[in-house]
Amino acid sequence: MLFKLSFSSMRKSFKDYLVLLFGLTISIAIFYMFQTLAQNKVFLESNAMISSIVFVFHVGTFILAAITIFYIFYATSFMLSMRQKEMGMYMTLGAKKYKVAQMMFFETFFIGMISLLIGIAIGIGLAEGIASLFMWQLDFSGEGFEAFYLSSIMTTVIFYVILFSLTSIVNAVKVARQSVLELLHADRKHDEVNTKGSRTIIGVFFAIALIAVGYYAMIHIDKLVQFGVILAAITITIGTYLIFISFLPYFIKKLKGIRTLNEKGLNAFTLAQLRFRVMNLTKVLGTVTMLIALGLGALTAGISFYHNIEKQSSMFQTNDVVVHQPSETDEEIIETLNITEQHEYRYKVKKDGVYFLKEDLLNNPPLIREFNPEIKEIPEPKSVATSLPAEKYAWNEDEQMKAMPEGWYTAISTELNTSFYMFGGRDIYIYDKTNFQKIDGKEQHVFTAMIEDFKEALPKLEKIDKGQQEIAASMTGEKPETTGSKYSNYVAIKGFSNGTIFMGFFLGVAFLMMMASVLMFKLLSSANADIQRYDMLRKIGVRRSVLTKSIYRELFLVFLFPAIIGLVHVLVGMQMFSFIIIEPYTKIWIPISIFILIYGIYYVMTVQMYKRIVLPKEE
Amino acid sequence: MSKPVLQVKNLHKIYGKKNQNQYHALDHVSFTINEGEFVGIMGPSGAGKTTLLNVISTLDDASEGTIEIAGTNITSMKQNQLADFRSEQLGFIFQDFNLLENLTVYENIALPLSLQGVSSKKIKPNVEKVAQRLGIESILKKYPVTISGGQKQRVAAARALVHEPAMILADEPTGALDSKNAKSLMETIMDLNENHDVSIMLVTHDPLSASYCQRIMFIQDGKLYKEINRNSTREVFHQQILNVLAEFSG
Repeated sequence: MLFKLSFSSMRKSFKDYLVLLFGLTISIAIFYMFQTLAQNKVFLESNAMISSIVFVFHVGTFILAAITIFYIFYATSFMLSMRQKEMGMYMTLGAKKYKVAQMMFFETFFIGMISLLIGIAIGIGLAEGIASLFMWQLDFSGEGFEAFYLSSIMTTVIFYVILFSLTSIVNAVKVARQSVLELLHADRKHDEVNTKGSRTIIGVFFAIALIAVGYYAMIHIDKLVQFGVILAAITITIGTYLIFISFLPYFIKKLKGIRTLNEKGLNAFTLAQLRFRVMNLTKVLGTVTMLIALGLGALTAGISFYHNIEKQSSMFQTNDVVVHQPSETDEEIIETLNITEQHEYRYKVKKDGVYFLKEDLLNNPPLIREFNPEIKEIPEPKSVATSLPAEKYAWNEDEQMKAMPEGWYTAISTELNTSFYMFGGRDIYIYDKTNFQKIDGKEQHVFTAMIEDFKEALPKLEKIDKGQQEIAASMTGEKPETTGSKYSNYVAIKGFSNGTIFMGFFLGVAFLMMMASVLMFKLLSSANADIQRYDMLRKIGVRRSVLTKSIYRELFLVFLFPAIIGLVHVLVGMQMFSFIIIEPYTKIWIPISIFILIYGIYYVMTVQMYKRIVLPKEE
Repeated sequence: MSKPVLQVKNLHKIYGKKNQNQYHALDHVSFTINEGEFVGIMGPSGAGKTTLLNVISTLDDASEGTIEIAGTNITSMKQNQLADFRSEQLGFIFQDFNLLENLTVYENIALPLSLQGVSSKKIKPNVEKVAQRLGIESILKKYPVTISGGQKQRVAAARALVHEPAMILADEPTGALDSKNAKSLMETIMDLNENHDVSIMLVTHDPLSASYCQRIMFIQDGKLYKEINRNSTREVFHQQILNVLAEFSG
């Protein structure tokens, strides 16, 4: 009989359950998605740029599991808050306590199992969808990645079944422990407000100290390596929670203490609500901040790696296009490029070497980038400044010839791409006009150019590069895998970056989706307690528009604090990648915009759902 | 004769849609309350007391008829106008206090003034004055959860008074109080009425609370059934009320 009642009431408050189901499903889907990556060692090891990627995923699994446990407990306590009044009523009507507790257990477990089924299905779908979207975007085959990954399904199922059993027991025990009256009046609880000055100061001090240690570890990750990752993960997590426990309530209290602000319009109420939230949500806000940091961090790193491809490939070469012995087809393609600067250099090829004409080189000294391993930025291009007074130069000094002055070898081998790939073991020489004419062999030329948009020209450059491979084949006798051109470097770097970028995008989006839903839940689960407050305000004559504004403001601030702190974590955290990525902050506005968009959608959704709960419909 | 503060004419309230089971909660009710009057509304459960209060307090709209409060016809007003009207012209005291438990007593009382945009400089003396009048100066900094039921209702009364509304509507204000606190609160309300010219409409089914009024209207089945005035002592009036109530059951 009780079960029949329980099902009928679940049907009645279907919309509330939908919110719960939605949250649980998202959590499960994301956990599963993470596992599809984390457990797929083949995929990780063959696609990541970072050798310790498996370790990173172990840390990630741990953090995600911890967050998920928190999350599921929140979500199921939301369910308890919805049901306890009714449970109390059954008990007043004579239902036995253990029966009601049993009912609570099965309800929680039932909802858990349904969401597990849907969650895994959605997880597989999302993994497939997001994966193919990014793979398509990145032009990345993603070998080894499987959206339907059996061992991940097993892990997810086991993890959640245990978790739901635990939460179901907790809910049942909570119901059993409370008296009938407590259950009946569960919606009339009062909020305790308590902030002590001295504890706050100590808390703030520790929070800042811990975060400082974490930031230090992230900035000096090149020396601390794995220890640094663990250190930063621990100190920053604890520090963040401490900030929300100590500083924020104190801050709001101070804000409320400003009388002219507090006594203006509905501010007293808005700030009181905010203070109450901040006091009650310390752990949630901390969790959300960490999720933002992880999600946005992963996304930013992914995008940063993505932009790094072009940077890395222009690390050595100033010229975007270098064409040896351009064919007619090459000429046609060159004409369609947006060239900003172009030159030609004449040379002759013999069996033992490649001979460049000194006058051409001196007329247009090539720009070179001097590579310095100490400096992380891309070196500024400089034209070769040393003069060439002698008639002949060789790369290697011998009795007959002087060695090339500094810079010239780089200029020819790199900027004019007279590399091993193109010319095999041939030496490089510079001859003046008289000597150049004496060399017997056909006069050739190499065309160099800088263009406006390298990435846009990629398909054209691909064609040119194919032609160059043919030339290389004719020089060396076999077709090289790469020509050493900027284009071929780009392709190579992209090849081994894609896996990392993919993981970053994938996890970033997953974490961001989960993060906001944690906050949404916790806010909505306490909304029932606020109904009375808003009803009273309405009665004493507060306009609906004023109430709406108050809700928007209050929730805006609740959403704002974790966003700011999470963002700062990310900005500092990107330092971790500075040893592997050139200029990690390039185009950081892209991941930040994506984050703001997802977060903004959740904010508006939360406000709308909250409004639906606390403000009665307009007649 | 003094001016009317509330004029109810031919007020009719129907619940339910046409062609379905309709319920006439209020059946063509008309009455007047003058400035400075303390009027009680009594009647058995389901008589229409709460409906009447809700319609007069602009929380619910009338199906027919007009209501004028302080010379303003509220039956034709829009939602926002009604909200403004409530915040300026009416003061509410509810059975379950309806204080905001996350605000201090001071903030609770100050709220109606804040909402009207009164500057915080002017709010303070007003709150202190009304707190003194109700004997709650010493608890202004406390939160509602830490004070007694009787004190809570005084805070609610202070909040209802602070913006000097045209009329106070009290809905079973003693309903959640013990007899000692109830008596004390009713004496305070009576004092506000007698010495500070506050117009009050009290809805109750407690004869003792009602005996503090000057006039009582009884309603039954949505109609005005009887009206009695206090002519002598409160004790006598109390007995008169009990007699009328006996007629209902008889």
